[in-house]
Formats: sequence, C-alpha cells, structure tokens
Amino acid sequence: MIIAVSGKGGTGKTVIASLLVRSLTERNAYDILAIDSDPDSNLPEALGVEVERTIGEIREELLEKRESLSPGMSWHSQLEYEAMRALAEDKAFDLLSMGRPEGPGCYCAANHVLRGIIDTIAKNYDYVVIDTEAGLEHLSRRTTQNVDVMLVVTDTSKRGITTAARIKELAQEMKIKFKSIYVVINRATAETKQRLEDYAREIGLEVIGVVPEDENVKSYDHEGKPLIELPPDTPALEAVRKIAEKIVR
Amino acid sequence: MGEEIPVDVGLIYEGERIRKSNMYVDLAGPKSRGAELLLVAPVDEVEDGKVEVVGPDIDAMEEGGRYPLGIFIKVSGKTLEEDLEGVFERRIHDFSNYVQGFMHLNSRDIIWCRVSKDAAKKGLKLYHVGKALINLYKAEFDVIEKMQVTFYTDEKAVDEHIARARKVYEKRDAKAASLKDEEVDVFYGCLLCQGFAPTHVCAITPSRTSGCGAISWFEGRAAVKVDPNGPLFEIPKGEVLDPVRGEYSGINEMIRDKSNGSIERVYLHSLFDYPHTSCGCFEAIAFYIPEVDGIGIVHRDFHGVTPFGIPFSTMAGQVGGGMQSQGFLGIGIAYLRSPKFLQADGGWQRIVWLPSQLKERMRDVIPEELYDRIATEQEAQDLESLKEFLKQKQHPVIERLAEEEEEEREEEAQPVATMEELTLPGQVMPVAGSPTEITIIFKNAKIYAEKVIIRRKE
Repeated sequence: MIIAVSGKGGTGKTVIASLLVRSLTERNAYDILAIDSDPDSNLPEALGVEVERTIGEIREELLEKRESLSPGMSWHSQLEYEAMRALAEDKAFDLLSMGRPEGPGCYCAANHVLRGIIDTIAKNYDYVVIDTEAGLEHLSRRTTQNVDVMLVVTDTSKRGITTAARIKELAQEMKIKFKSIYVVINRATAETKQRLEDYAREIGLEVIGVVPEDENVKSYDHEGKPLIELPPDTPALEAVRKIAEKIVR
Repeated sequence: MGEEIPVDVGLIYEGERIRKSNMYVDLAGPKSRGAELLLVAPVDEVEDGKVEVVGPDIDAMEEGGRYPLGIFIKVSGKTLEEDLEGVFERRIHDFSNYVQGFMHLNSRDIIWCRVSKDAAKKGLKLYHVGKALINLYKAEFDVIEKMQVTFYTDEKAVDEHIARARKVYEKRDAKAASLKDEEVDVFYGCLLCQGFAPTHVCAITPSRTSGCGAISWFEGRAAVKVDPNGPLFEIPKGEVLDPVRGEYSGINEMIRDKSNGSIERVYLHSLFDYPHTSCGCFEAIAFYIPEVDGIGIVHRDFHGVTPFGIPFSTMAGQVGGGMQSQGFLGIGIAYLRSPKFLQADGGWQRIVWLPSQLKERMRDVIPEELYDRIATEQEAQDLESLKEFLKQKQHPVIERLAEEEEEEREEEAQPVATMEELTLPGQVMPVAGSPTEITIIFKNAKIYAEKVIIRRKE
C-alpha cells in the first residue's frame, strides 16, 4: 500500500509522515519503505537516518559519466544497482531519498527509467510512506502515480483546509490515481477541532484524524532529536497511531 | 543429492528485492567485489549440466555475512558465435532473478546478489542457482547445446576470475565501439520527448546517439528487451537510400508514421535539406554559419554567446519543438565522437567554432591538424572576429570560401546555369555588400521560407 503525505510547508507534514512510519513499525509485522520526495523537508533527520546518497545524486553522476560508460553495460541496470545502493536500510524500515530537483539538462530518459525502478523497489514492501511536496509535481514525475491513500496535512487555519481542497483538485487534474484522500489536521487545540472538522466536511473533505499540539514534538524538533524516538505515549504519536490503524484496516 | 531446487523458479520473482532485514548473505556488491562472465567454448571443453562452487556455498556461509562472488558460464553449440556472449551474459541477470529468494543486480564486474533468509532456510545453495540457470538458458535458447556453471566465493579465485573477465570486457567494448550502422539490421526509435515535441522521434543508430545523449544504440537494444511496449522501439533499417547523408527507408517510414506525416524524410548526418528534428533536450546544437560557410557547435553548459551574438538558450528555442530547421541540429555530445559526425557536410573539416570547454573535451577526436584552427569564445565572439581568425589560421573552410568567391566572380561575368541546388540555410540571412547596389542571383534554386525580409541597411 502506498501512502502519500502531502501538505504545504510548515503544516507539520514531515512530523505526520515520520510518526506514521513509527506507528507502522510498532507492529513488527510489515516491510516498510519511507520515501523522502520533498527536497525542502527533512524526513531522514526526523527518522534518524543518515542518507549517504540520494536518487538525484545518482542521476547526476550517471549523466556526467555516461560518455565513458561501456556499451556493454546497460544504463537501466546501472541505475537499478545504484538505487538499491542508495536505500538506507539499517532500521525497522528502509528509506529512499529523492534529493534535489534537477538542473537545466535533459532528464526525461533518466527519470523515466528511475520511475520504473522505484516502482519495482516499492512493490517489495507492505507499506510505502512518501513525504511529498505540496505541489505534487514530484509525486507524478518521480515516483509512482498510483497512490492508495493520500493524506493532506493542514494546520488549523481555514486557509489550510482550503489548500487541502486545492491539493485534492490538483491531484485529480494530474491524474494521480488514489483510492482515498483524507485530511489530517495538525496541531489542533480542543476549541479549533470541532470547527475545522465541520468546515472540512462542508467542502467535501474527510478528516481521518486530528493531531494535537504536542510539547514533546516541539522540544524534539527544537533539539534536532529524531521524532521517531518520541516516547510511545506522547499525544501526537497516539493520534497518528489511530490514523495508521484506520489506514491499515 | 540436493539436485532438486528447494525454492520456486519463475518470472514472478524477477522484481524481488531482498531487504537487509530479510537477507541471509550479501554477495559481491558495492562493499565487496565480483564479476560474471559467459564464454562460448568448443564442444569438448564444456561438461554439460555441471555446476561447481569454488569456495563456501551458502550453507557454509555465516548468516549476515558478506562474500565476494564470481559467476562463470561456459556454453557450446554448433551455431554459437563469440558475438553472442555479451547478449547471453546479460541474461544471467534475468534468469538468476527468477529464483525465489535470490536477488541479482546489474552486470559484468558491478554485480550485487543477495540470498534471503527464507531461501537459505529452505536449503537454497549457489549450486541450485546454477542448475536453475542451465534449465532456463536451455529452455530459452535452442542453440545452446551444452552449458556449465562455476561459482567462485573463495577470495583468491574471485580475484582471478575478475581479472580474466575484465580482459574479455575490454575486448568486447573495443569491438562494440567500432560497430557501424552498416553492420546492424535494426535501429531504435525513442518517443520519450513527444510530450514536449509531438512530431519529434529520435532515430538512434550505432553512429547516432539520441539528442539528449542518454540513449545509445546499445541502450536502445537493452531498453526494448526490458520493456518491449515502452517508449523505445525497433526500427527496421530498410533500404540504404544515401549512405553519406545517412538516409534509410526504414527511418523515413517510421518518422512519417510517428510524426503524423509532418516529417517526410530525415538525413542523419547533415544539417541541410532534411536534418533530423530536435526535441528540446539536446545537449548541443550544430549551427551553420553562412558568412564563413562553416559550422559551429554550442553546448548547454556554455553560458556565453555564439558568434551569432546569441547564447545556447536563445538558439535552442528556435531549434527545438520537433521541427526540421535548415542549418540547425540538436545533438548529443556523444555524436561528436561518431565516425559519421556530420559526414555529409564535411565532418570536423567544416567545424569552425565551439566553446573552449567542449573543444578541450573533444581533444582526442578533433583531427590534430585542425585543433588550433577551430575558434572558441576566446578568439571569436562575433562573425567578424571569427572570419579573421579562420583566415589567419587557414582553416579549410577559407579555401573553399575563396574558391566560391572566385567562381561567383566568374559567373557574374558569364552567367551559366550550372550551380547546384541552393537552399537558404538559416532563418536569418544577413546579406553583405554595398547598401545601394545589391545583386542577388539564384540559379536553378529551390527556396523554402516562411518569411523573407529585405530591409534597407540603416
């Protein structure tokens, strides 16, 4: 199952994605792949993973040396090998980092090949969690087009919810197929919760969970500690765990 | 004993990736070493069906361990030729991946294999992988009559195997590098860029890499094998209509079809008449400079201006989009190394300008006597300084230019209609000469233009 976590910058999208990975690993029953597809986010740090090489770097390297590449070696196989090498696999989950967006050269061929390779890799996992840019461009261009669950993370502003509706439209326009799309309201307080849920429903969005403001998340963020190591009973994690249960079921 | 393969073997396991957490052992790969080699051998040197493991087999390996790996296959058959070795060797990847719980990536001396915990528990050994390979190869290729597989996991044996394999790769590469269009029956087409340029199809031959530089003929062949319904496809070569310009009936038919009839003919190795269309992704542009009757080349990484006074980006806007632009051609940098590089137009003898960085990169392919006669941005920033430089260095185009000027003068005196067909090369055609009296004589000319502007010089 492929779960994409999207949302505008500052909504806490990466917090939700990393806590979702954490929730899924708690069952000790699944093969999980996390994909960091937002160059401005820090999913690897949140998950406490050191990324040695990104897919972007692999692509650059290969494009640079392609002239000297042996005619007897296929570019596709080479990328496949390098992509496997880029997989960080030292934890209860694996992580693939897409890296920086491309420069001015032509990447059609490389991206086409990479998309296929990442699809193949992704098929080996029970759950794939993608932290993706709000623009969704990366989702459509670089990784798989077939997302099972799309989570749109929003803050507690009314504009945040409207943005969520816009992302839903955008995803439909870009022909990203997903079975379901839900809103996650992040950093909610008791008094904003009901009002936002009502508003979301009004504009046709289903809220799958409300994640409360969490002092632990704040202090971990502040100190640069991996969010995946949060205490098991911290309120934000408990809320995301419930979301995970709904998705898995 | 243990002849029976203890796991499933089938196509469905092809995309199987063995994660570290499910892995029993890691073989070869980026943190170790390895190589695979397939050779065609005489019949009496192949012991059919034999699988040998030199060094520990999986059951004697430590769980979580990392070992080097060599795979050596010998095949024989009455009709087998050495040329097939590379093609057969590439199938080790497909076939060994069919074995459940066995992962194989890449080829040659950059392989990486893993065995899953499940498969190890079921008793899978390299011996069985060898047996599976023999079965699969023989089922797929009738021409293989006998086959024998050896695995090396012993450090010293692996090193010896790698050294032997590398010598063979070198020999094969040297041969492949000299592969000519004449020696193959199939070219490849690529539609990856049609999203941007709907009438553009790239024709890829041994002597012409794609415009983006990413897809060589070999790459095309590999891609079609991996994904027969993908954006790359085979082009039957058809009849050779013009060996010098590079015109093939197969390519013409294909382009007519895939461009919805908007492009009729294509010359692979010329900027004129029917140049290849360009997508938008090309790595470099070859452009005709009428003032010196020469050709310039500018690549994407060069941010200065060409002698036309415009940078790559501006020129790219005019060249791309799947049109045939007279005198302009989007190319991959690898094409500069082709023995057929713009051969209809004179090849390197006609090149008069290129950025210094690119010139340095091409030092080994530019004919030695020409190297110092080709201008870069350091010597020529505009047409005037270019012409000056070429004259001073006696570039071959100058000779030709002088001859033509001579001829023109003669012809003016005594007009005879013998001049060959002339096609206006660029979109902008500066006319030199006195502003008050201009004589333009076209003889036996065909002119195609969307727009012609003649203005008084201010």
